[in-house]
Amino acid sequence: MNMSAHPGDLLSAYLDGELTPREVDGVRAHLEVCVECRREVQFIGEARTLVRDLPPVDPPFGLFERMLRPKHRWARAGVGALAAGAVASVAVMSLVAPREPHVSTHVAQLVSAHTASASTSGDPISEITPAAVPVSFNR
Amino acid sequence: MAGEGAPTWEEVARSHGRFLYTVAYRLTGNREDAEDLVQEVLLRVRRGLETYQPGSMEGWLSRIATNAFLDDVRRKKRRPEDLLPEDPDWVLPPSSAADEALAAEMLPDDIQAALARLPDDFRAAVVLCDVVGLSYQEIGESLGVPVGTVRSRIHRGRAMLRKALLPA
Repeated sequence: MNMSAHPGDLLSAYLDGELTPREVDGVRAHLEVCVECRREVQFIGEARTLVRDLPPVDPPFGLFERMLRPKHRWARAGVGALAAGAVASVAVMSLVAPREPHVSTHVAQLVSAHTASASTSGDPISEITPAAVPVSFNR
Repeated sequence: MAGEGAPTWEEVARSHGRFLYTVAYRLTGNREDAEDLVQEVLLRVRRGLETYQPGSMEGWLSRIATNAFLDDVRRKKRRPEDLLPEDPDWVLPPSSAADEALAAEMLPDDIQAALARLPDDFRAAVVLCDVVGLSYQEIGESLGVPVGTVRSRIHRGRAMLRKALLPA
């Protein structure tokens, strides 16, 4: 390592024991003659200590229990239970419900009645509300 | 199919939940995002237990958490203003007894806030090094970068923290 060059990024690695023996020798030799880098090592070490001393953080109560709750299994079980219940209900009803007599529907009569009731003529709401409001974006 | 000896995700949550949440909180900087990150990690653990190699469970979880965190950051690009130039102009302040006293009284929330203001890649490297305790080699493998880049990110991240917490 060039003795005159500041080690820069190597200083953290030096503190962390992440340099090769040769690199360590180079950094130490530089630190002996460079007060600026000695100060930098001290500052970096302070920052490192601050982060390393941060305490563990407790997760919110019940966080993992909520995450581990088998929602999908519950959902599938719920749907299955509902489906089984519905099938059973239909089966029971088909056995106990009284039989209705067969009714023949006159389709033409139904269509005629529906068409008359769906007309908007005479409908107060349809008559007072315009189908569209004219708007202009020109200023 | 999980590898032999691989833990279930329920075991991971119960045995390493606090550690995992701590790492997630240090990376994200807030509880809501930390919970989302923990959930994402557990999902990845459940899907990827076959990749587990017996060793440091916490190191393995940390790598998953960090990658999930960085994936999310890159996807959202939610705080582009945090991205600083590669060679930030940080100037080291002179040391003093007052600074040392201040450091001794520093509150975890203050440190966490300063940590949260680091560029995401720098914060990930610092957390993996100083919170998790991974080696530079392991951090490089986790982040997919050379060891030289790890050195740089850790050093610059610490320098920024020091400057933010103990101004001249």
